[in-house]
Amino acid sequence: MIEVKNLNKDYGNLSVLKDINVNIEKGEVVVIIGPSGAGKSTFLRCLNLLETPTSGEIIFEGKNVTKKGTDINKIREKMGMVFQQFNLFPNMKVMDNITLAPIKVKGQDENSAKETAHRLLKKIGLEDKSDAYPNQLSGGQKQRIAIARALAMSPDVMLFDEPTSALDPEMVGEVLNVMKELAGEGMTMVVVTHEMGFAREVGSRILFMDDGKIVEEGKPKDIFSNPKNPRTKDFLSKVLSNDF
Amino acid sequence: MNFDFLPKYYMLFLDGTKYTILIAVFAVLFGILLGILFSLMRLSKVKVLNCIATVYIEFVRGTPLLVQLYIIYFGLPKLGINFPEIEAFGSSFPDVMAGIIAMSLNSGAYVAEIIRSGIQSVDKGQMEAARSLGMGSSMAMRYVVLPQAIRNILPALGNEFVTIIKDSSITSVIGIHELMYNADTVRGNTFRPFEPLIIAALIYFVLTFTVSSLLHKFERRLSLSDRG
Ligand SMILES: Nc1ncnc2c1ncn2[C@@H]1O[C@H](COP(=O)(O)OP(=O)(O)OP(=O)(O)O)[C@@H](O)[C@H]1O
Ligand SMILES: [Mg+2]
Repeated sequence: MIEVKNLNKDYGNLSVLKDINVNIEKGEVVVIIGPSGAGKSTFLRCLNLLETPTSGEIIFEGKNVTKKGTDINKIREKMGMVFQQFNLFPNMKVMDNITLAPIKVKGQDENSAKETAHRLLKKIGLEDKSDAYPNQLSGGQKQRIAIARALAMSPDVMLFDEPTSALDPEMVGEVLNVMKELAGEGMTMVVVTHEMGFAREVGSRILFMDDGKIVEEGKPKDIFSNPKNPRTKDFLSKVLSNDF
Repeated sequence: MNFDFLPKYYMLFLDGTKYTILIAVFAVLFGILLGILFSLMRLSKVKVLNCIATVYIEFVRGTPLLVQLYIIYFGLPKLGINFPEIEAFGSSFPDVMAGIIAMSLNSGAYVAEIIRSGIQSVDKGQMEAARSLGMGSSMAMRYVVLPQAIRNILPALGNEFVTIIKDSSITSVIGIHELMYNADTVRGNTFRPFEPLIIAALIYFVLTFTVSSLLHKFERRLSLSDRG
């Protein structure tokens, strides 16, 4: 579904992504882990061209995303993204946050967009919040709304960049549960996270990134119980010892 | 203090105030139009446009309004641009036009900066979220960024209006019979150096205070209807 070939990203003379090659299949939940500054966010943001790759190719559903002349907006419609800082539109009610893009981008009529929004709100357990403004919601609620907003475009893949890192610990679970449910429905997902429990339980494949490279990849149980690369071992021993 | 001159001269103050308001209102309107134009140029990816706007804004902000006013006043006729005299304005129409043009050109640069910083004050994540949902950059600007930027832009535009009302007094030097000029006339005629200026100051204050109070009301309405 997503094919990444020889992806490089430089900032000036700082090389942040170094020759990344990955294939992501339909229905996979790919979890990207790695130390801070490894390039995880940059990689994720290259997939939907929020960052422009310096070189390499990204093929999404047969279309070359990186080629000049590709309509990136059309591609982004099919790639939902969830940010660490939620990025809800603070001046709009929850309902308008969710329906804005379906109405303006996809040209849906208001009623069917609202219907979809209600269905999604119900699914994430926030039916009663459709008239609330984002600043009236808790962090966990905001992030669930942000997920619903992305889902409203009926994307084929969802990108998550540390969706729980800005949350108070007691709110992490509710967001991970929504993501887990989504994975259970067969959504293709690429998730950058420090939640090793989620990675192990929900991930179908783990990519360990360090210093701009994918150092090791494999099934969660292999990576967690039997990491081969010393850097993976080192990283996992550090994060797992913090993970009570 | 002696205001005995008022019954005889109050019409001069009122007429001057009319011109002050006229110049300020037009300068603000054209200033906003120019400001939008220049800020679009600065946002544009076309290097030439961007460069022209940047140079223009820096030049205007880096030179005195008085110099700009003289450049326009003496420069326009040199360029062959002469405004006709129009009955309703007496013989002063060309001067008033020069004043309005100079004030507008000046204000346009400041308004462009106001708009730019208003847009920049909106968190980058807002644009990214909108783009990630498939909106093009102008659609994201229109539906997501600008409605939030407006909250910072409007109050600053109000301040710009207040500044223009005050700065319009400088157009007295090219002979426009606005408030400052007429206060000077009264001063010359009555040989009272002080009191006419007090009257002028009071009128300026009433104008600017009215504008800023209206603005505060409006701001409060905005923040009530929009709980960010
Ligand atoms: N806009 C930018 N300009 C310059 N350098 C950048 C920029 N964005 C990221 N970098 C650098 O690229 C490297 C990778 O950053 P990235 O945000 O992808 O890391 P990350 O793996 O997501 O880390 P974290 O876990 O802290 O989010 C870092 O060294 C960072 O300083
Ligand atoms: Mg990151």
